Amino acid sequence: MSLSPVEGAARAEIAPAADTVTPGERAFVGRSPGQLAWSRLRRDRTAVVSAVVLLVLMVLALAAPLISKLYGIGPNEQFQTLLDGNGMPLGYVGGITGDHWFGLEPRLGRDIFIRMVYGMRTSLFIAFAAALVTTTIGVVAGILAGFLGGVVDAVISWITDVALALPFLIFALAVVPTAALRFYGPRDEVPAAFQVLILIVVFAAFGWTSTARLVRGQVISLREREFVEAARASGAGLGHMLFRQLLPNLWAPILVAFSLAVPQYITGEAALSFLGIGILEPTADFGRMIFQSIPYLQTDPAYVFFPGVTIFLLVLAFNLLGDALRDALDPKSSR
Amino acid sequence: MRLKRAAAAGGALALLAVMGACSENKGTGGGNDTDRVQSGSIATDPKESMGPAAEVPGATKGGTFRVIRETKISHLDPQRVYSFAGLMNAPLYARFLTTFKDDGSGKVTLVGDLAETPGTDVNKDCKAWEFKIKDGVKFEDGSPITSKEIAYGIARSFDPDLTGGPTYLQEWLADSPQYDAKWDFKKNKASLPPGLTTPDAKTLKFEFAKPHCDLPFAASLPYTAPLKADKDTGVNLDNLPFSSGPYKVTKNTAGVELVLERNENWDPKTDPVRHAYPDKIVWGFGPDAEAGANRVIADNGDDQSALAWNGVPSALIAKVTSDQALKPRSVQGQTPSLWRLTINTSRVTDLSVRQALNYAIDRDGFIKVYGGEATAKAVTTLLPPSTIGYEKYEAYPAGATGDVDKAKQLLAGKTPELVLGVGDDYPEYGTQLKGNLEKAGFKVTLKSIPADAKLDEVGKKSNPWDIYLDQWAADWPSGAAVLPVLFDGRTIKAENNSNTSYVNNDDINKEFDRVLALPAADQAKEWAKLDQRVMKELAPAVPLFVEQGYYLHGSKVGGIYLSSIFGYPALTSAYVKQ
Repeated sequence: MSLSPVEGAARAEIAPAADTVTPGERAFVGRSPGQLAWSRLRRDRTAVVSAVVLLVLMVLALAAPLISKLYGIGPNEQFQTLLDGNGMPLGYVGGITGDHWFGLEPRLGRDIFIRMVYGMRTSLFIAFAAALVTTTIGVVAGILAGFLGGVVDAVISWITDVALALPFLIFALAVVPTAALRFYGPRDEVPAAFQVLILIVVFAAFGWTSTARLVRGQVISLREREFVEAARASGAGLGHMLFRQLLPNLWAPILVAFSLAVPQYITGEAALSFLGIGILEPTADFGRMIFQSIPYLQTDPAYVFFPGVTIFLLVLAFNLLGDALRDALDPKSSR
Repeated sequence: MRLKRAAAAGGALALLAVMGACSENKGTGGGNDTDRVQSGSIATDPKESMGPAAEVPGATKGGTFRVIRETKISHLDPQRVYSFAGLMNAPLYARFLTTFKDDGSGKVTLVGDLAETPGTDVNKDCKAWEFKIKDGVKFEDGSPITSKEIAYGIARSFDPDLTGGPTYLQEWLADSPQYDAKWDFKKNKASLPPGLTTPDAKTLKFEFAKPHCDLPFAASLPYTAPLKADKDTGVNLDNLPFSSGPYKVTKNTAGVELVLERNENWDPKTDPVRHAYPDKIVWGFGPDAEAGANRVIADNGDDQSALAWNGVPSALIAKVTSDQALKPRSVQGQTPSLWRLTINTSRVTDLSVRQALNYAIDRDGFIKVYGGEATAKAVTTLLPPSTIGYEKYEAYPAGATGDVDKAKQLLAGKTPELVLGVGDDYPEYGTQLKGNLEKAGFKVTLKSIPADAKLDEVGKKSNPWDIYLDQWAADWPSGAAVLPVLFDGRTIKAENNSNTSYVNNDDINKEFDRVLALPAADQAKEWAKLDQRVMKELAPAVPLFVEQGYYLHGSKVGGIYLSSIFGYPALTSAYVKQ
């Protein structure tokens, strides 16, 4: 009799887990693979710390309007009277005061803390939405290509190759500005929501390929396994085969791919803002904030420090959590 | 354990870096308060046009002077030079019909360069002008410069292949903006354009259909540089110009380096303005504004004798102004480049709205966004303070940060919706203006325009925006080069407009004609008066500020000042301390 790989992994892990149980009550506790992964994740201190950091930042981002209300300052408020004649914040360390916790932006005099909170909201929303869309497209395309094979596989693989061959940046540079022109007249403001949507679409158009390839490879190796044969022999339909038999065995790589895609999109969105095709002024955005702060490294390091450290923490926490997740879901993959 | 210690050390270092800038910023002004008062005249005594130029105190001969710049100079061919870098560089290797005697103090005198005087108005009607060429002026190969070569230089500026240069003389001679259709240079290389004659080797004559009292000024631009017909290499002259000035181009690697070396055939006794102290002048291209400024601040090796052409970028200004050691190495001053918030009067037809904009404007705030008081100085006039005859006035006294109440009062409860077109290279200008104007009750929609297309788009008569930022720097310090160009409604065409306010007022247009027909010396006061009238009656724009130049040079450089005409560092008096 053959076992599905998930069950195999689960059994392999039962022995060490049982070691911790005291000899007196040596009884088998039935645990699902998910529970096992969860307990492994909880024991990983890096994972816990990253998760806490992420949680805090996400709550901050989600509650941005509320925080703004409590803090008493809006993201577009300008405090130019608190700047000196050169447009640099007065006072200590870039204008840090009880009112402005992280100081003020040079020149425009906007509050850095509240703009970071709002900027985080923009960045995290784009990154999560893009990761979700790309993972969904990638999983569906990969599972279909891998399982059905033949013409379907050939066509999907061909599309994947084309999407991979297209240069992302050049495509983004060409599409993003023209899209706004297409939908909005010369006197209409382009709303921030539209800019966000365009970015998500651009990321989705290119980001799904790696997940699709990953899933396709996994499915090809799975579809020849006995449990799939057995299901097929029992007369299971296509839907059941794909989503009941194959998909549960793919969750581990998909989750890891997702968790690694999020930080990639955060930095990707920042990079596009560097090129001036991301989110435009005056909407708060992390990438643009960092881009604008870099020339002030010598004259106002606080302006560079706070957003820089936050995006560093955000991306690092996501990456570490992704790694920890992979270790927890598939203990054979590392160490 | 080791990891923890490393993390702690890293954290401490980061904290230190932030605290490093922890001294309190009390807001000591880095501004340049000296309002350079411009006074100008046209030299009447031929002695003033003779050399040699008065020695710069402390100047020494020899050495290599260097200029660091981000991009190459767009043109070297004197007939094509028009960029600021080109205009400041051209006097090194070319001489013109007239030129400005200038030491950066604001007192400028127009003198003859190749000509003995800055022109004679033969019939006192500004239609016929005569120039006598100096004796002893020579090209780099030692051959004499006569009126023939100067006329040939002007003639070749009619060539449509030689793009980029100013077009005043061509348009005035041909009496048409389509001058190249009126007179074809390529078919008539042996003759001269209509109205331009050389009765003898020492005389050059211009005859115009209409009066042009500004000719002596217009003749100071590099397109009056002489050229021998057999040395004309057409478009290739742009790479290796044929020198008539104190230096000759010996090496030109596009985008990398431009080397100028002494021209032994230049006679200082004929030249009223050029000194030519260094043996060699080298332009090095590549480093951006920040890298250039940082190199000069570091003051190592060759950079000790270098000038950072791209100036002090706004992010570094706070550091540079607070460093007293850099003070003697910095050059600060006013430029003629005036920024205004242009109001598209074809869309914003209500005068009270335009006046309200003038009251609402927070110039102080905008200057902070632009780069601070060291880079800009607020103005309330349409003429820059560097204009000859300038008079300061406030048509709409708004104070430094705007008079919101007065603006609201003028709007009388209305909330005009304005679309602000802003270049996508500096979107924060739009952010500041939006915040500023909305306080006074306007509703502002920001629309970004691709920076490289902004000038063309705004110059279209049917452009879709209500307000936009514009800047203008005149080619010579006369109101004639500003007001009629920007506000004469009869010049409005479908595209390429300089009158981006699209004002067209018959009374004002008539005034322009009247003042333009006056002798150049009498015009100055009239332009200042007309400036006030345009602002009060039409309010076609909100004057914002004039750019301030802020440059750094190495410790061994001397003699750099900001040109009173163009506001960029003048190179003709530069020297290297030995």
